[in-house]
Amino acid sequence: MSSVLQGSGNTRQIAKQGAIRIDDVVKIYDPDGAAVMAVDHCSLDIPAGEICMIVGPSGCGKTTLLNAIAGFHSITSGKIFLDGKLLCGPGKPQADPGSDRIVVFQNGALFPWKTNIDNVAFGPLMQGKMGKKEIYEKARSMMADAGLSGTENNYPGEVSSGLRRRVEIVRALMNDPKVLLFDEPYRALDSLTKSVMHEALLEIYYKNKVTIFFITHDLEEAIFLGHKLVIMTTRPCKPKKIIDVDIPHPRDYSVLTSPRFRQLMDETVELVHEEAKKSFASGEKEG
Amino acid sequence: MDQINALLKRAMPFQMVGPDVLASIAGLAKWESHAKGDVIYQIGDEADDIYLVSSGSVQHTLRGNNGAGALERPMHSGDVFGWAAVMEDQARLATTVCLERTELVRINGAALINLLKSSPTIGDVVMSRFATLITREFGVSSAVAEKVRRLPQGARSTAEFKVETKVETKVETATPTGLTLTMFRLSQWISSPKPYLMLIGFALLLGFWYFSVTVWKLPRFQDLPGLTVVVKELFSQDPVYGLSIYTPEYYQHIWVSVQRVAIAFLLATVLGVPLGLFLGWSKKFREYVFPVFELLRPIPILAWVPLAILMFRGTETPVIFLVFLASFFATALNTMLGVESIDESYSRAAYCLGANKWQVFREVITPGAMPFIFTGLQISVGVAWFSLVAGEMVSGAFGLGYVINTSYTMVRYPTIVIGMITLGVVGYTTSALVRFGGDYMMQWRVREQALGGN
Repeated sequence: MSSVLQGSGNTRQIAKQGAIRIDDVVKIYDPDGAAVMAVDHCSLDIPAGEICMIVGPSGCGKTTLLNAIAGFHSITSGKIFLDGKLLCGPGKPQADPGSDRIVVFQNGALFPWKTNIDNVAFGPLMQGKMGKKEIYEKARSMMADAGLSGTENNYPGEVSSGLRRRVEIVRALMNDPKVLLFDEPYRALDSLTKSVMHEALLEIYYKNKVTIFFITHDLEEAIFLGHKLVIMTTRPCKPKKIIDVDIPHPRDYSVLTSPRFRQLMDETVELVHEEAKKSFASGEKEG
Repeated sequence: MDQINALLKRAMPFQMVGPDVLASIAGLAKWESHAKGDVIYQIGDEADDIYLVSSGSVQHTLRGNNGAGALERPMHSGDVFGWAAVMEDQARLATTVCLERTELVRINGAALINLLKSSPTIGDVVMSRFATLITREFGVSSAVAEKVRRLPQGARSTAEFKVETKVETKVETATPTGLTLTMFRLSQWISSPKPYLMLIGFALLLGFWYFSVTVWKLPRFQDLPGLTVVVKELFSQDPVYGLSIYTPEYYQHIWVSVQRVAIAFLLATVLGVPLGLFLGWSKKFREYVFPVFELLRPIPILAWVPLAILMFRGTETPVIFLVFLASFFATALNTMLGVESIDESYSRAAYCLGANKWQVFREVITPGAMPFIFTGLQISVGVAWFSLVAGEMVSGAFGLGYVINTSYTMVRYPTIVIGMITLGVVGYTTSALVRFGGDYMMQWRVREQALGGN
């Protein structure tokens, strides 16, 4: 395990890169003349190496924010920076997608027509930065590290959903990304698998220096994983409250029964519930 | 649950087990998670459960064989250990220690054997695969492996048992390839009721034909060529109307038609697939082309006949053009739909991973549309055959369409039916070839479906 940094009762990985600054971002969808505000003057600072959990009801606009960082969508106004460099802002409404920020998708996006190892090798192969042999050696050893030996030549459709998620994270890490963007990746998993995936994710995080931007509507997941909890208002979306989770890392599942965890749950559950009710009342769709 | 199913399906002893039994086995399974250094069991412990590694790894140390050193072997995801639980002595022969945080699935050996007793055919296969696993992968002598318990010999017939063992030897090679899976499916198909239902279907059709025309002579049916007349003509050394399987003309007609369809189909594929890919991929290109495409598509092939004759000289090119046209629309449209069916996250993921636009086209769009492309090709080859009749009206002195047309004008009714049946058989064969080609090119799909059973 790499060394960890003590800071304000909260331990963060040493990561020199991967700080995200979201500065006054607005996103208005205008599909048929009726403007819908998805993100409303949202500002947020995520230091390098932090696990930042974005919590809000389904359809509140969290994914819009993630898509803006990843470069899948444009923003209407405001700026987003990565390590002080402008990703998108005035004059450049849409960021270029790149291997420094990799998304792990809600329903998983491993290519079903490629074997697991071909999936893992995909990024470096496309970028053409390394030799093919070297790439496959690295892929093999990274998969072994993540407990995926023996599944290299299987197709994603042949392994369990939990293993698929893990392959997808390894595929991202192959590119040494600065930021991992998770779009409710564990939503479709049963709670048993989910708990295993959480521990596995933390294990991977402790080994790799990345910033994690993680969208979820599962409060327990958010507190268990995150350094910071950002509770979002329902559409239009902006931070309603930011909470520091002062449970020291490395964490394991015993954290769930600790008094501090319960206390944080109690503090936040009401806030989230309020937004969920608003979202329900306004009849937001899933997404 | 599907996770346990997928894991079981990958484990060597259970690879041949059908979905129902697999689900019951999965019902016996329990998850457990271990920390690094946990000892699962030690030599001499009572052997109750077998284990499958889901993730992580376990060091498996077998008791030394007659003074030889201990055999160590790491077990990874999909590996099976603890098989002493399905042996007669029921004492552990090895010690197992977790090398890292490990998830295991645990199945009680006695319960498993009980379950397998209820479906002895597949049960035997599972048990003999256990024996194979023990000798082959763990290097345990076959004398020990023979202690794997046999299921009681019940109502099982020897014939049935032979089929199963034959299947087994085929698939024993490590990972199943597309071919072995296809063979496995074939053998499953033969042992299922499907082929017999199919035969009943044919019998009903032929029976209806025979009785309505020849026996009952129903009002509008009596003038049709009867089953017996057609069969007699088809297999006659000296056919009344000049065409049977003994006349060389018969094969010449088939050969000419096959050639025309093959050329037209290949042209349609070579032009239609790229057009469809671009239509689906580029919105701008689509706006130019798609309206024209949609306007031309519904025009029946027969309506093109006069123009085809005006446009092309000779006898061959107009026919090929007509067959091509029909095929081309089916291929291009399905390919386009295939591109549209691809989940956007795949191309997004590819962009994230640093792929450029052309790489996304090559690595994501094309393989992603492949299932639809092959559906399109199957439709297209069928359409090619039925537009052949229209095409061969135009020209020539050969071809199955030509046979049907001229036999009509010359009142050789049994020959018409011979032409129709031949078209059906040849058409079916080509369509099966396309499907076979698709399975070959999309092994990922064959394997996925073999597991999912859909």
